[in-house]
Amino acid sequence: MKAETREVTISVNGQRMTRRTEVRTLLSDFLRHDLGLTGTHVGCEHGVCGACTVLVDGVPMRSCLALAVQADGRAVETVEGLAPEGELSEMQQAMRDEHGLQCGFCTPGILMSMLAAERAGVSCAEACGDVLGGHVCRCTGYQGIRAAVRRRWATLPAARGEETPA
Amino acid sequence: MNRLVGARVARINDPRLLTGRGTYVDDISLPGMLHAVMVRASIAHGRVTRFDAAEALADEDVHAVITPEQAMARTRDLPLVWLAPEQRHTHVPVATDEVRYVGQPLGVVVADTRASAEDALDVIDVGYDELDAVVDAEAALADDAPLLYPGWGTNVVASYDIGDTGEEIEPVFAGAAHVVERRLQVQRLAVNPIEPRGLVAQWDAGTESLTVWISTQVSHHIRDHLAIVLGLRADQVRVIARDVGGGFGSKEHLYADEALACLAAMTTGRPVKWIEDRGEHFGATFHARDVVHRARLALDENGRFLAIHSDIVGNCGAHASNVGTGPFRISSIMLPGPYRFERAGTRIRGVVTTTTPTGAMRGFGMQEASWVRERLVDEAARELGADPVELRLRNMLGPEDLPYETRTYQRYDSGDYPEALRRVGAEIDKRSRPSEGRIRRGVGVATHVEFTGLGPSKMQQLVGFHLGGFETGVVRVEPDGSVVVSSGVVGMGQGIETTLAQLAAEQLHVPMSAVTVRLGDTATAPYSASGSIASRSMVVGGGAVVRAGGRLRERLVRIAAHRLEADPGDIEVEEGVFSVKGVPGSSLTLAELAGHAWLGWNLPPGERADLEEKDVHDPENVSYSYASHAAAVAVDLDTGQVRVEDYWVVHDAGTVVNPMIADGQVVGGVAHGIGIALHEEMRYDPAGQPITTSYLDYVMPTAEDIPDMDVSHLCTPAPHIPGGMKGLGEGGTILSPVTVGNAVAAAVPEIAEKLVETPLSPSRMWTLIHEAGLHDEAGPHDDPTSKE
Amino acid sequence: MKPAVFSYLDPRTLEEALDAVGEHGDDASVLAGGQSLVPLLNMRLARPEVVVDINRVPGLDTSRVEAGAVRVGALVRAATVEKDPALADALPVLADAVRHIAHPQIRNRTTIGGNVAHADPSSELPAVLAALDGAVVLRSTAGERTVGWEEFFVSVFTTAREPEELVTEVVFPVRPDLEFRWTEFARHHGDFPVAGICCGLDVEDGVVRAARLAATGVADRPVRLREAETALTDAALGAETARAVGELARRAVDPPSDVHGSGDFRRAVLATLVRRTIETWPDRSQRGRRGAAA
Repeated sequence: MKAETREVTISVNGQRMTRRTEVRTLLSDFLRHDLGLTGTHVGCEHGVCGACTVLVDGVPMRSCLALAVQADGRAVETVEGLAPEGELSEMQQAMRDEHGLQCGFCTPGILMSMLAAERAGVSCAEACGDVLGGHVCRCTGYQGIRAAVRRRWATLPAARGEETPA
Repeated sequence: MNRLVGARVARINDPRLLTGRGTYVDDISLPGMLHAVMVRASIAHGRVTRFDAAEALADEDVHAVITPEQAMARTRDLPLVWLAPEQRHTHVPVATDEVRYVGQPLGVVVADTRASAEDALDVIDVGYDELDAVVDAEAALADDAPLLYPGWGTNVVASYDIGDTGEEIEPVFAGAAHVVERRLQVQRLAVNPIEPRGLVAQWDAGTESLTVWISTQVSHHIRDHLAIVLGLRADQVRVIARDVGGGFGSKEHLYADEALACLAAMTTGRPVKWIEDRGEHFGATFHARDVVHRARLALDENGRFLAIHSDIVGNCGAHASNVGTGPFRISSIMLPGPYRFERAGTRIRGVVTTTTPTGAMRGFGMQEASWVRERLVDEAARELGADPVELRLRNMLGPEDLPYETRTYQRYDSGDYPEALRRVGAEIDKRSRPSEGRIRRGVGVATHVEFTGLGPSKMQQLVGFHLGGFETGVVRVEPDGSVVVSSGVVGMGQGIETTLAQLAAEQLHVPMSAVTVRLGDTATAPYSASGSIASRSMVVGGGAVVRAGGRLRERLVRIAAHRLEADPGDIEVEEGVFSVKGVPGSSLTLAELAGHAWLGWNLPPGERADLEEKDVHDPENVSYSYASHAAAVAVDLDTGQVRVEDYWVVHDAGTVVNPMIADGQVVGGVAHGIGIALHEEMRYDPAGQPITTSYLDYVMPTAEDIPDMDVSHLCTPAPHIPGGMKGLGEGGTILSPVTVGNAVAAAVPEIAEKLVETPLSPSRMWTLIHEAGLHDEAGPHDDPTSKE
Repeated sequence: MKPAVFSYLDPRTLEEALDAVGEHGDDASVLAGGQSLVPLLNMRLARPEVVVDINRVPGLDTSRVEAGAVRVGALVRAATVEKDPALADALPVLADAVRHIAHPQIRNRTTIGGNVAHADPSSELPAVLAALDGAVVLRSTAGERTVGWEEFFVSVFTTAREPEELVTEVVFPVRPDLEFRWTEFARHHGDFPVAGICCGLDVEDGVVRAARLAATGVADRPVRLREAETALTDAALGAETARAVGELARRAVDPPSDVHGSGDFRRAVLATLVRRTIETWPDRSQRGRRGAAA
């Protein structure tokens, strides 16, 4: 049975891209394999591990639980867009400074969730709680990630940086 | 110069991983690449009687289907690595029509895309003659149990004793003032690196060579075994590990499905990608643990330990894995832990069942040994009314006792075991929190000695482990002064690129930025049989780099002395500049030295031109790390939920090359162990169908499970390892499950005797609490009187 | 783990959407938030011939607070409910319950209609709907009908929705006389709960004047614990009532065992949730406080 295809145009990290793809193609696979943006990782394909988290129109979501056709006409942000080549964003730098990553496989998803959390003005406690709760990391034991979030949040406007969860 | 060893140096590969520019195996795409999926057994036990791929092959997207028959004809048996005495099989087929577990690879579909390959999988018709399943190892020992290999007449694949047995040990138990005996169990686990396994294979018909990019901890081992099973010469196979998204033991050998994917590339003549998905992982990647210990601890009237013994029944799964009964063997040799025993030993029975084979996972055997020993010790303290810390200290080997030969053939090297426990013991009182209502609180401790830095080769020969235990380090200064370090170990997130660079930079007195570390490619890396397993990369691989770097520095100093017309003893090296002590302006940069050296110019008599040193490091012994842990837990008596509220680690891994990375290894290890303690469990139904095949059913530890921990290090350098390192990647996982278990026992002493099995899930805890009569004081079965 | 082949329709009007489900009926799956459907597609446990994606259908993504009810459009995201001040004012328990659904990355997509239509026996919103005596609005080309929760939830993943119908709205009645609370127990925050309860009480001078109690995770669909409600009514708040009512709740259900625990364990957790909720209920008059919805 031949799979139905459609043309999908998305803006990825500010760059407009069009590809024809099967309608069953997951957004995660579209980004990785149709567009070659392999920074977004796939760990479970049932929405739990969080490695594939990207922002669609600014909203963090699992790219393994969305079809590429659903993103047609939308703006997608991925880990590749977080900093100009050769640089690290402040959150990326905090992750490095606090050893918030080991194998690095889950890291891009966490970075995207934290970017959205930063923009949404959530508290440090919530970022370390509900937001990080949406990611599974097998390597770090989460301690380094929380330390990185605290380091980053400490530089944000005062009201949010003050709360530091245990 | 600032010392690099011991410094909190930022990891050199972080920037590419943080920016999405890493290269994990599924990121690799080759022109003309096809996609493979495995045809896997859907039953637990039986024989394939029909394999009809006609409909699949009719699809133009489908390029090949390799049937079990074809796979059997094209592959040779896969050798097993760690063979027990008289183990009933030493090789297993890559493909067979005899099914012994759900998920066993039978054949391969190759199609244009992963999705179309799965479409084809849907229409492949496999028929079976089904046989009875047996999931539980003890059930498989029964006389009427279905036999997996009828020719054996038993399901026991290997059976042997370790240490003191029979007459040597039984009289001690018989005469002991106090014996604590329990049936202790560690559950079956799925390893779950967040990156599943996978590979891209490319067959070059012109050069008759196979290149395989694979997510692995052991590139050379994969190469050697691929050559064997595919009938190639080793030089025809190149294996490359790029970024690896976690291993934890699950990527430490060649799997049959990986060989089949390579066969698919050879068959089709096109590059083939195969990526395990998470659903497959739960059945296709070897599991771990699944073992029952009937264990005894004997004490005299003064609370002195006399003997420890365990009768071990280990579930090997459908066949002996690469390591076979190895985990049970390591449990045995490390069972005595840091204590003095007159006698110690085990009996091991490895049993086959119709389940996924069990193999390596972080903490290999030692986590089980710690669960057994430290639960018994805690129970002894409870039964004798002794303080658990004091009882341990009373029986612990002191620094003056080391080196020490155990009853199970270990020669502990160095350290101060009591100090680690005393430090943890001092910490736990500082943050105690009271029980409140139905929330009980308690603190538990545990302690262990850890077998790390797998080697030496002669020991591996002695125990039937068919991999060399050495590592080779190559340090080269290029003509422009840049430094390249090559090693056979593999980076999989443990930070080994950075720590090897630290060692080399320290030896050569150059800045970190001058050093590049190349790992994982059999075409360029020195041979490594064992690779990155068994907490050995830094110990064995690092030791080789220390020695190679040191020798290269000595040569550079000699060359510099010759060129600067000074005595080598007067040459100082700082940040890559060689100068004559007390003679301003008399100096050469590393680039100036190297540029001439590689031309063969201006060398002292007898000096080689190349600036490359290679060291083969086969240590004289493993190195023994040790640690004490403490956990503070809260137990909800009504829901059975256990929360770890505080956690302390005092750990000795010898020289700590990078404390940031070391802490990360320990904390991550503890988190993995908290998952074992509280949540993770791989389960089957009685028909052998796995029932925990997604993250909804297999519960992974998340951020809320893991408190921020206090980690501190004692640093007793390993006396026999260049650089003094001991391993530290597994200790956290080894000790945390029993530390949590002991804390739960302290919180709810009424159920302590029954705390014999993990995970301490809410359901299991609730059942124990209920059986102990600790349910809500009104009682659940009281008549609920109405509001009057 | 890739979806089987399907045809994809993304209607741009409600009429087109109704035509699509009308035409394809049982062969179609409706894609709203996709947080339950897409995993099933990926695992090939769902193999619809047609996926009808309603995300581009206008008019289904708004909520209205009306006299006596909060009407939530089928496409309203869980995250929107969480943050909507009008909903928080009218029916704060809705946001409380929604916050227990997974994590923000999921709630940003999860829709209220999809969550209810999926009818997971451990899901939060069906129990909220049960406690409030809510209803689900179903539309087809033949017209619209409103189905009460009790009729709507049939069994595990099974509802009274006919294949040619779409869930267009979920109706949560507002009871200003009652204060509602959501309590659940899960392995982790965000996991499907072992059990969860939606409890509504009207308490005056320490005495319960009216009570609503519904539970999730303890049956093949959400359940109302009516005996417990009866026992609560006119009872004095306190430990004794709490224990007795918890016990009634335990006896009212008989959940099956699964990998997360035995049926007895789930029943015990339910009893604990009920007992603790009532034990810790603040002894203060709530009457009239949430008059905004009236």
